[in-house]
Amino acid sequence: MTIYTLANVTKVYKNKTVLNIRSLKIKKGYIYALIGPNGAGKSTLLNILGFLELPSSGTIYYRSSPVIFSQKKICPLRKEIVVVNQHPIFFSTTVYKNIELGLKIRKFSKKKRDKIIEESLDLVGMRHMVKAMAQKLSGGETQRIAIARAVALSPNVILCDEPTSSVDSENQIIIANLLKQINEQKKTTLIFTSHNRFQTAFLAHQTFFINNGEITFASYENLFAAKVILKGQEFSKCIIENTLNLTIIAHKVGCIRLLIDPEKIYICEFKEEKFANNSLYARVVQISEEKEKVRIMVFFRINITVIVSADKYKATNPLIGDMIRIYIPPEAIKILS
Amino acid sequence: MSFFVDSFYSALVLILSCDKELFFIVLVSLKVSAISTILASLAGVLLGCSISFASFKGKKMVITLFNTLLSLPTVVIGLFVYAMISRRGFFGPFDLLYTKKAIIIGQTILIIPVIVTFTISAVSQIDKRYRKTAMTLGANLFQTSWLIVKEAKFGITAAVIAAFGRVISEVGISMILGGNAKGFTRTMTTAMALEYDKGEFVFATALGIILLLLSFGINIIFQIIQGKSEK
Repeated sequence: MTIYTLANVTKVYKNKTVLNIRSLKIKKGYIYALIGPNGAGKSTLLNILGFLELPSSGTIYYRSSPVIFSQKKICPLRKEIVVVNQHPIFFSTTVYKNIELGLKIRKFSKKKRDKIIEESLDLVGMRHMVKAMAQKLSGGETQRIAIARAVALSPNVILCDEPTSSVDSENQIIIANLLKQINEQKKTTLIFTSHNRFQTAFLAHQTFFINNGEITFASYENLFAAKVILKGQEFSKCIIENTLNLTIIAHKVGCIRLLIDPEKIYICEFKEEKFANNSLYARVVQISEEKEKVRIMVFFRINITVIVSADKYKATNPLIGDMIRIYIPPEAIKILS
Repeated sequence: MSFFVDSFYSALVLILSCDKELFFIVLVSLKVSAISTILASLAGVLLGCSISFASFKGKKMVITLFNTLLSLPTVVIGLFVYAMISRRGFFGPFDLLYTKKAIIIGQTILIIPVIVTFTISAVSQIDKRYRKTAMTLGANLFQTSWLIVKEAKFGITAAVIAAFGRVISEVGISMILGGNAKGFTRTMTTAMALEYDKGEFVFATALGIILLLLSFGINIIFQIIQGKSEK
């Protein structure tokens, strides 16, 4: 079942379009990751999905009904969704009172409130902090209590803005496991933003890459500043990060930002001559498994991410430190601006 | 120098002897100031929060207007209210002139801008994310506003204390609207002005000491509250 459908949703701040989503569907009970550079529009999208911000145009369907952003109609919908901020805000009172707030608004009895608060704090392993002042907590504790506060309200959707960006590695693992557990046990739809590819690979059923407010085809990792230096009839020459010359399809000379789709980069045999242009001899610096694919980070003046199928990886079997030959087809390079 | 030391010493003796007239004047001052502060707080906090939460055209202009009203001289308010409540005034039939009620009205008008501007400042300083947090927890507009006001409680309390400090030490309104009637509307500041005219420095000094002690106490509370809000 689809819980959200976004159609031509835009958000404009001071004449600048910060979000432009043509189409997006979110299924109930799944975990989704939004990945993209700072200022890409991830948080704006989360706020719109949490009904905290109005889109400038377009339609949002929540549980198949179009959302009307009037005070009267939006308040009941907000009670089904909780946004957990990157730096969660707590009111200047105890952990108990902070969690109790949303339950009080929902008019739960005192007995039921106490039971829910205990359960949700148990879930995040923070029951001993029930009487602590919420604003005195550490980064990891704050994030876990914020998740407990969200879970206590039994929402349909939890939207987490970079839930592990401001916590230590120990808490990063705890929080990631916690989110997975919440999704599995309570079937809560989770949407989170992140910069961490490993975390998204571990947590998310599906990852959306967002850049300049738009959902893009590839990871923002291969996002570079470049300069088109020579324009040909079909292909042009560009120099990436002042260091790497590539052939691309460009229509004019000048400074650009471009994305290289990591799934469209080939690993080729050393002797293959047909890929003379745009082929590089690069050193493997990182390898990781991602669902049924393998991510290989190679270094040739700059770090470039290559994603290959597990079969392709087994066939070529590059190891860390090995020199491999990669080919970047001009079609794999998308000019952003 | 000895004149000052002698007056100061005699004033202390007068205070310690719990002079009935002296303490009645203090009581009148405290009473009218407290009532006007309560009334102005009710109106000012509500108005300040409304201005702060609402977004409307001319909001900056309204805030500038209240900031300007902060420097309104007490005698101007005194004259304005006098015109309204004197026999020939609009509220003449209520017979308010030269009563404690008249002082309270004037003092309330004096400090409403103080509380409004301080409240706007206190509420504006609360991180915008508090509002979003309250909203995502399911709070409606009223509940969200109430939560923000609670977060700004130190700033708002400081506004109320500052307002009380302003009214307890004002003289123009009390003199024009209260008339400085002995046993009725004589406040600390009006009594001091009168005693000075009469050359009764000891009584005026005693009232001055009490007024300073009160102001000192208010400022200590103010500092404590400010310190708490900064933590």
